[in-house]
Amino acid sequence: MRFFENFNYDFLGKRKIAYIISGGLFLLGVISGLTRGFHFGIDFKGGSEIVLQFEKPVNIAEVRTDVENIGLGNIEVKTFGGETGVMIRTEIQVVPTAVYPNVIAGIEKEIEKMIPGVPRRLIDSTASSVTYAFENPDTANRIIDGLFEAGFQSGRVSEEPDNTQMLVSVGIADWIKENLREKITENPFTVLKEDRVGPKIGEELKRDAVLAIFFALIAILVYLGFRFKFIFAFGAVAALFHDVLITLGLFAAIYGLFPGLNLDIDLTIVAAFLTLIGYSINDTVIVFDRIRENLKIHKTRPLFDVINTSVSQTMSRTVLTGGTTLLTVLVLMIFGGEVLRSFAFTLLFGIIIGTYSSIFVASTLVYEYATKYSKKVEF
Amino acid sequence: MKEFRFKLIIIIAAIALSVYLLYPTYLDYQSNKDIKQTIETDREQLIKSNQDLTKTQIDNILRVKEDSILAANPDIVKNRENRVKLGLDLQGGMRVVLEVNTGKLLDKLAKNPDQVFTDVLAESEKESQQTDEPIVDLVARKLTEKGIRLSRYFGTIRDDDDKIISELNENTEDAVTRAMEIIRNRVDQYGVSEPSIQRQGSKRIIVELPGIAREEEAKQLLQGTALLEFRIVRDPDFTFPIMQRIDEVLAGKIQDSTDVTSDKDKSETTAGDTSLTSADSLKPEGELTEEEFKQQHPFFAIALLDPQGRSADAYVHSDERNKLEMMLNRQDVQKVIPNNVEFKFSAKTNQDAEGREFNIMYLVNKEPELTGGVITDANANIDPNTSTPIVTMTMNSEGATEWARITGANVDKRIAIMLDGGIFSAPVVKGKIPGGRSQIEGMADLNEAKLLEIVLKAGALPAPIDIIEERTVGPSLGEDSINKGLTSVLLGYTIVGFFMILYYRKSGTIAAAALIFTILFILGILAGFKATLTLPGIAGIILTIGMAVDANVLIFERIREEMATGKTIKASIDSGFSRAYSAIIDSNITTFFTGIILYQFGTGPIQGFALTLMIGIATSLFSALVITRVMLDLMVAKNIPVTVG
Repeated sequence: MRFFENFNYDFLGKRKIAYIISGGLFLLGVISGLTRGFHFGIDFKGGSEIVLQFEKPVNIAEVRTDVENIGLGNIEVKTFGGETGVMIRTEIQVVPTAVYPNVIAGIEKEIEKMIPGVPRRLIDSTASSVTYAFENPDTANRIIDGLFEAGFQSGRVSEEPDNTQMLVSVGIADWIKENLREKITENPFTVLKEDRVGPKIGEELKRDAVLAIFFALIAILVYLGFRFKFIFAFGAVAALFHDVLITLGLFAAIYGLFPGLNLDIDLTIVAAFLTLIGYSINDTVIVFDRIRENLKIHKTRPLFDVINTSVSQTMSRTVLTGGTTLLTVLVLMIFGGEVLRSFAFTLLFGIIIGTYSSIFVASTLVYEYATKYSKKVEF
Repeated sequence: MKEFRFKLIIIIAAIALSVYLLYPTYLDYQSNKDIKQTIETDREQLIKSNQDLTKTQIDNILRVKEDSILAANPDIVKNRENRVKLGLDLQGGMRVVLEVNTGKLLDKLAKNPDQVFTDVLAESEKESQQTDEPIVDLVARKLTEKGIRLSRYFGTIRDDDDKIISELNENTEDAVTRAMEIIRNRVDQYGVSEPSIQRQGSKRIIVELPGIAREEEAKQLLQGTALLEFRIVRDPDFTFPIMQRIDEVLAGKIQDSTDVTSDKDKSETTAGDTSLTSADSLKPEGELTEEEFKQQHPFFAIALLDPQGRSADAYVHSDERNKLEMMLNRQDVQKVIPNNVEFKFSAKTNQDAEGREFNIMYLVNKEPELTGGVITDANANIDPNTSTPIVTMTMNSEGATEWARITGANVDKRIAIMLDGGIFSAPVVKGKIPGGRSQIEGMADLNEAKLLEIVLKAGALPAPIDIIEERTVGPSLGEDSINKGLTSVLLGYTIVGFFMILYYRKSGTIAAAALIFTILFILGILAGFKATLTLPGIAGIILTIGMAVDANVLIFERIREEMATGKTIKASIDSGFSRAYSAIIDSNITTFFTGIILYQFGTGPIQGFALTLMIGIATSLFSALVITRVMLDLMVAKNIPVTVG
């Protein structure tokens, strides 16, 4: 079996079509970016995120109303995986003071339910925790265990055996969970995942991500400039910008259009972008390598023809490798589970755009650059 | 054949090494399955037989049970150490980033803070949220702007600002070290397996706790003030008889509980006599076989006493500590231990001559004589007279009075220094210490002394820490991710392998076989370097499967082109490989670069992805350039027809 045998196509001659496609996609990205904006996950914004797994299918709209009614303002509620998974996300860092009395009332109610009228003292309350003191260690331990099983984040203040104090933490996530447990009694849930990122860390992660992509591009520019000619390095890196920007634009364009596909930009997505850069450059380098080789053999042939021949010659390899990688990424997207879905999706689209760019964009840019500055490209 | 021998040996060695490195992972998988099954059946039985047990209590019983299974089989523990490490996202657990709150620390360090200082501090804290400038520098600058010298709040009156700033920075530094030590100590006491506590930058600590089920307990391990206590260690005369009774109860010699309580009272009053008899009854141990001894003296088989010495410090191998704690927690055993004392372990382990780790167990009073709040300073030093490490400890006046009374009443007795329940040192009181300045000797080296310094300060100078990032993954999500990851790897491999065989025939078959080895090598390297496999790491492997064939595709396409020009198969293979070489190297090195950058900037799971991606690139090159090459050459040499589709 073989594809593209004795294949020769005038890629450069049709470059106007490529410009229209790329330009169109780019414009779409810019417009969506400006109108719809980019949605960052808590990795970059800071906030809390909980993923819950219910025992039975759950009505997402119901969960949303339940969560919205607990006084925390606007909270994102989405499905996670199948019908039983729910993801709840908020940017608020601590429980607002207005809600605080409710939180304490909730704890009191639960204690009353276990041992009615048990002597207790509220000895401390901070923005994130409440501390109770009881009369003896046994009572304290009983209530700590009981509250914990009821879903509260309760624990001993000290590990000493004679400890009589209980600390209940009242983070945003805990408060949401407690409320849901109370409101959706017939359908219990377990916590699959819980993340909390402080605002400062979010800023740092954002800076690191931008730096990572920037340094990756610089490293590639330097290496290719060294191994090939600067003009090729320029073409390759310009094509990478093309890939990254178009993929980013896609994120803005289709955000929220597909239920079950969570396209918030977080650390995993940044990793996907870097992988996409690595993959796309891999593809481009192989075409360039062939151009370099052909330029050495046919010293007098015009660059136009050499590029066309080289892209045609490497076509079968480009499509084959792109194909196998695409297949594995598809497998990952379908079977890899919810956590990796957005990662796989980014790569899926990224590989398509990366393959497209190494065929139609990178060498075209090299050609345009060479003709514009009437440079003679030779090795 | 000869020309291939060297390459073949390398290939076989690489495969053998990978299999060897992965074997513990396989064994661990098997034993985990067995343990899980045992625990589940136990759980069902427990629920059936004891309806009134809460879920937490059952969990605790089962945890101890699991620990004892592990303690009984050192092999399981060894395999566990050598298996492929799974990241928190795969096995469930908690990752927390802590930061020392420098603002709070400054507030605590400042003497006579007034309104001006509080305002400056609040301003600086706010500003430090936006900039990266350290709070110490911000506070210093703002005070200078106001024309106030730092010595008004910190240090002594004669110190200039620079000196105070460097001292404050040192204090921040110390706070991080102290916080790390406190956390490490608690995590050790709590018994989390494979914890990781790392320092990041100047004031951050990253703590990873795999498999933590009770999230709140974990959070308390990390925050809250440490409890430093001084407790009296009981004499051998008092301790021996109690140990003796425990041993008898465990061996089943004493059954009637009412008898036991009365015996206990007697043993307290006539401690001297009983200790003599206990020494006698211990004598015949030399005549008993090891098994018999274990049967008749279950306690002394684990809690080893110095046969000659009169010390009652028991040496307990660390892997048997859980078992012993379980014994001590039995109700019938608790009855023979007087109410006012308890057994406590040393916080740090030592190694015996065979390299086995052990803890020392002491019998100490339950009631502390003094707690750490009274300590104002501690310093580790080398005593210029004896050239041995010492730690000096200073107390405030209130503490000093108490301390003089305590030490005066307990001359020649030992006082245990305990932090959060773990004993760090148990020095002998040489005489009454008036004035609150004490000197502790007998540390093995300066490091040990430094540790004691940190411990002593932990009670006095808290290290205020904030949780700034927290990620928890439940165990069920982790298990689900592993299964889905493995399915994807298998399916991805099948599709790609099938395609290669279809498209390139025999050469494709070889490439598909080499791909198995690529995956084997990746996992082998992960196990060998004790690297961590994360969920994105599995994604990296899957991606590698797709991209690994790239080198093969490049080579085979070249061979096809060469054959089309009319060359023989042997010549085509030769030139196909050599001409595809530059493309393969250039393209893979650039991808490798992005891998390195990803590793540098990423955290946790992302680093795992970068790692497998990089290992994947290296191993797939080995498979394509060495394994596939040798196989093709071998086929040509043996006159087996080679097809490239």
